[in-house]
Amino acid sequence: MFPKLDPILHSELRLAVMSILAGVEDADFTFIKKQTGATSGNLSVQIDKLSAAGYITVEKGFKGKMPRTTCRITEAGQQAFSNYVDALKEYLSANK
Amino acid sequence: MKVILYKYINNRRTKQIIVNGVDLQDFFKNSQNNFVYIINYFIFAPKSIIITMEQNKEMTASESLALIAETMNNSRRVVLRNNAFHFVLWGALLTAFSLIIYFLWHTTGNAGWNLLWFAMPVIGYGLAALLDKKKDADPKNEISRLLGLSWAAFGFFSVVLSAIAIFLVPMNITLIIVLLLGLAECISGVILKNWPIAVAGIIMGIGGAVAAVLLKSEAQLLLFTLGGVLLAVTGLIIKLQYK
Repeated sequence: MFPKLDPILHSELRLAVMSILAGVEDADFTFIKKQTGATSGNLSVQIDKLSAAGYITVEKGFKGKMPRTTCRITEAGQQAFSNYVDALKEYLSANK
Repeated sequence: MKVILYKYINNRRTKQIIVNGVDLQDFFKNSQNNFVYIINYFIFAPKSIIITMEQNKEMTASESLALIAETMNNSRRVVLRNNAFHFVLWGALLTAFSLIIYFLWHTTGNAGWNLLWFAMPVIGYGLAALLDKKKDADPKNEISRLLGLSWAAFGFFSVVLSAIAIFLVPMNITLIIVLLLGLAECISGVILKNWPIAVAGIIMGIGGAVAAVLLKSEAQLLLFTLGGVLLAVTGLIIKLQYK
C-alpha cells in the first residue's frame, strides 16, 4: 500500500515554494517570485494555503520604506516535506 | 508577446494547438493532468515556448522529484552567488587601504598611518549595509551563514589584536593577521568545497606568515595587497562557480 501523497504539497507551485524554503532560513516574497516565475497573485494564494496548513509562517514587515513579506518553513512543514519526498521515492522504487 | 490560454479536460484538448504554424500537440500529448496551461508564446522567437508556473498542476512522482531537485539547486546557487559580492567588496577595500597606507608610510616615514586600518571595518560595513539596502533581500542558508561567521570571527580577532598590538603589547601583527586571513580563506574553500580557494588560503596563511617575518616595516603591507586581491578573486570564482 502506497502512502498517500500530501495534497497540499502535490501541486507544482506550492511544491516549488516548499523546496525553496526547505533550503534557506527564510525567503522574501520577491525572491520566491523570481525563483518560481509565478505571478504575485497566484503566489500569494499558494503561500496562504501553505500558511493555513501550518507548513510555513508569513511575516509582514518593512525594509526601509518598502513592505516586505518573509516566509519561513515550520517544523511541521519540514516534516511534511520530508514525508512527501519519502513517499515519492517509494512510488518510484515500486515502479522500477 | 502573445498569451494564449488552452484548457485540457481529461487529457483532451478543447482547442487546436497550432500557433503561427507551430503544432504544439506533441508537447502536450503525454500530459497526465487536467488543468489549464498558460503559454507565453514569443512571436519573434517561434521556437521559444515558456510555460510559466501559473498552473497548480498535479505531477507524476518523477516530475515532483525533478522539480524539488531543480528548485533546491537553483535557490542554493543564487544564495551562494550572492556571497561573491561581499568577497569582492572586502577584497577591493583591503587592496585600496593597504596601498594607500603603504604609500603614506613610505613617503612620510610615519608608521602612525597604520591607524587608518581602523577606518576599514567602519567603511566596509557601512558600504555593505548601504549596498545591501538597495538590493532585494538575499536569503541565507547554512553555507552562507557559516561563511559569514568565519569572516566575522576573522574581523573580530584582527581588530582586537591590532588594538592590543598598538596600545598594549607590541607584536608582529602583520604575521598574525595574514595567518588569520589565510585560515579564513582556507575555511571558506572547505565550506564551499572549492579546493583552489582552500589551497590559496593555505599558501596565503603559511607563505604570508613566513614573508611577514622576512619583510620589514611598510613592505609588510604589500602582503595585505596580495590578500585583498586573493579575496576579490575568490569572489569572482564563487560568482562563476554558481553562475
